[in-house]
Amino acid sequence: MRPHLSAKSDDAVMLADNRKGIVIGVEFKKGHGRLSVATNTALSAKADDELVALVAAGNEAACRLLVDRHLPRMLAVARRMMGNQADAEEVAQEVFLRVWTHAARWEPGRAQFTTWLHRVATNLCLDRLRRHTMDDIDSIPEPMSEEPGPDVMLEQQQLSERVEIALQALPARQRAAVTLTHFQGLTNIEAAETLEISVEAVESLLGRARRALRDSLATERDRVLR
Amino acid sequence: MQSEMTFERLRDIVEAYGAAPRRWPASERDAALAFIADSAEARDLIADALHLDLMLDTAPMAEPASDMLVSRIMAARPRALPAFVAQKKTSFWKSLITEIWPYGSPAFPAGALAASIVLGVSFGFTVPNAVSAMGLSTAQTATASGDVGEQLVAMALVENNYSEDWQ
Repeated sequence: MRPHLSAKSDDAVMLADNRKGIVIGVEFKKGHGRLSVATNTALSAKADDELVALVAAGNEAACRLLVDRHLPRMLAVARRMMGNQADAEEVAQEVFLRVWTHAARWEPGRAQFTTWLHRVATNLCLDRLRRHTMDDIDSIPEPMSEEPGPDVMLEQQQLSERVEIALQALPARQRAAVTLTHFQGLTNIEAAETLEISVEAVESLLGRARRALRDSLATERDRVLR
Repeated sequence: MQSEMTFERLRDIVEAYGAAPRRWPASERDAALAFIADSAEARDLIADALHLDLMLDTAPMAEPASDMLVSRIMAARPRALPAFVAQKKTSFWKSLITEIWPYGSPAFPAGALAASIVLGVSFGFTVPNAVSAMGLSTAQTATASGDVGEQLVAMALVENNYSEDWQ
């Protein structure tokens, strides 16, 4: 049965089954649909710098695309740094508020957009961690029992929790270096730009961090090797 | 570009960046890989670092972004200015004229103003001449002297020069 046309706009007609009272689809008018899809495809092909310029002009689709592209990575950085999802979401939101605020002043080519995003996210995390240094001591969860779990899933979960505890116990800048290079896949040069230190300093932070992690996770090695 | 690799340098690299060559400094990667191919001791170093890499990879990951988070971020995005606001911002003079005459095109009032100025100036020149044409000697004298103040006084007193024979 041909669905009823229930609502119209300039670009699209909503298709609804009036018997069920639900919208079952959207049909684009001739020409407009193709235009819309073409516009989105053209936007997707744009580099971050171009999208930022469109964001400054108030282009909603460009804002959405920038969020889709970079929000997961910003959440990942913040999650590793902060150790919990709630703080990570606050940091990620703040990162994008900075993007919206600075979009009009963004100078293409001066810095890589992803590096700048990582720098903002890392600095926000470091600031928050600095403010809550005293709280952090109490907030680091106690290690789980040494007893292995009854099944592999539980064992994996315990290992994951121990790694998280070991990561959170690192000094914040060491954790930032590990997060950026190991988890976010930044090169040593990009990590150095993000943290605004030399490549040698990044390497030093990483070396100390991995030694500390290896020491605190020494008892877990056998589980990984199984 | 650094082409020579030593065991000590390889150990520093692996202890800092881990076992995966993609994380190593790009300028030293090829030399490091070549060194590992010829050194069993170097391969042990890599194997040891791999254990820590694997453990780190079990760390909890961030949950996907919630719809609420995306909505909050999108709600704060920059907005395009409405067309009428953008028009107002086009020119200072245009907006000033619009403030003074907000009833459409300012051409008519501007034309009326210009016409009134022209008429006023014209009257200013023609009226004294008209008075002198009526044979008023004092006014004539004042006009001849070119003193505007005296001219005005003469015009005020001009009535006194009329003869009062009404009979």
